[in-house]
Amino acid sequence: MVTNALVFGAAFLGSGVESVEALTIVLAVGLTRGWRSPLAGAAAAALILIVLVAAFGQVLVAVVPDWLLKLAIGSLILLFGLRWLHKAVLRSAGVIAEHDEGEAFEETVAGLAGATDWIGFLISFKGVLLEGLEVAFIVFGVGSSAHNLPVAAAGGIVAVVVVTAIGAALRKPLTRVPENLMKYVVGVLLSSLGTFWAAEGMGVIWPLDFLAILGIAAFYVLASQVAVTLIRGGARRTAPA
Amino acid sequence: MRALRAAAREVVGLFVADWWQTLVIVLILAAGWALAAATHSALAGGVLLLLLGAQLVYFTAAEAGRRRRQA
Repeated sequence: MVTNALVFGAAFLGSGVESVEALTIVLAVGLTRGWRSPLAGAAAAALILIVLVAAFGQVLVAVVPDWLLKLAIGSLILLFGLRWLHKAVLRSAGVIAEHDEGEAFEETVAGLAGATDWIGFLISFKGVLLEGLEVAFIVFGVGSSAHNLPVAAAGGIVAVVVVTAIGAALRKPLTRVPENLMKYVVGVLLSSLGTFWAAEGMGVIWPLDFLAILGIAAFYVLASQVAVTLIRGGARRTAPA
Repeated sequence: MRALRAAAREVVGLFVADWWQTLVIVLILAAGWALAAATHSALAGGVLLLLLGAQLVYFTAAEAGRRRRQA
């Protein structure tokens, strides 16, 4: 009973963290580029995941080493997140416009023409597919090491359902949050998760395990605020008297 | 073919805005990996984080300066 609870809890928490990562990506894309394409991307990724898991199952876990997956996915998420954070810092410092008119124009045109936003589709597809693969790894990893795959699978499925429900509930309130703040928070989150996973893939053992992500996020907030202060200071020095 | 190249550019653009910055990030990750392999401690994580934070400050300040000079 206790073992079952531990297996369920580990799969639930691990899958929950991964699902939150996927949700962050889908929400970020949906809130900034519209919902249709990212949701289609997420659905396509989920479908491919179901097929992959059904076809390969435990072979996937056995063949690709966990450290390699963490390092590769972590590095990609880090690059993606740092790019967002970089832009968010420049927006906060007033170097680039808060609202991207070109992007708004593209969205409007896409909306009018009823065309598919392939970038939104691809980002969402990639995020859900990669994070979903990690969920599959966690479920198979925990389940096979504890010789209790059904309980681990239940933990993973419940985590995905709970996180998806929370995401659906948060969708409307999140639209009222300023766009730049949203992009800044997503940039910090993705950079933090990417750093955490990439370092774990390298063999780093973080103190407090996944709670270290909060410390990493706090550091990125501090670093970005230092950057904003420096840029604003530089602008004041060069401004004509 | 042109559409494929454009799609590839879009995908690469998700991760790369400035090739120099990306190169520096990759070098930082490589250094972090080497340190992690040598020490197997949280120290490598701390160093990695510090370097990534420093590159963020440096490259955003550099781009801001560049944009200011162009304006």
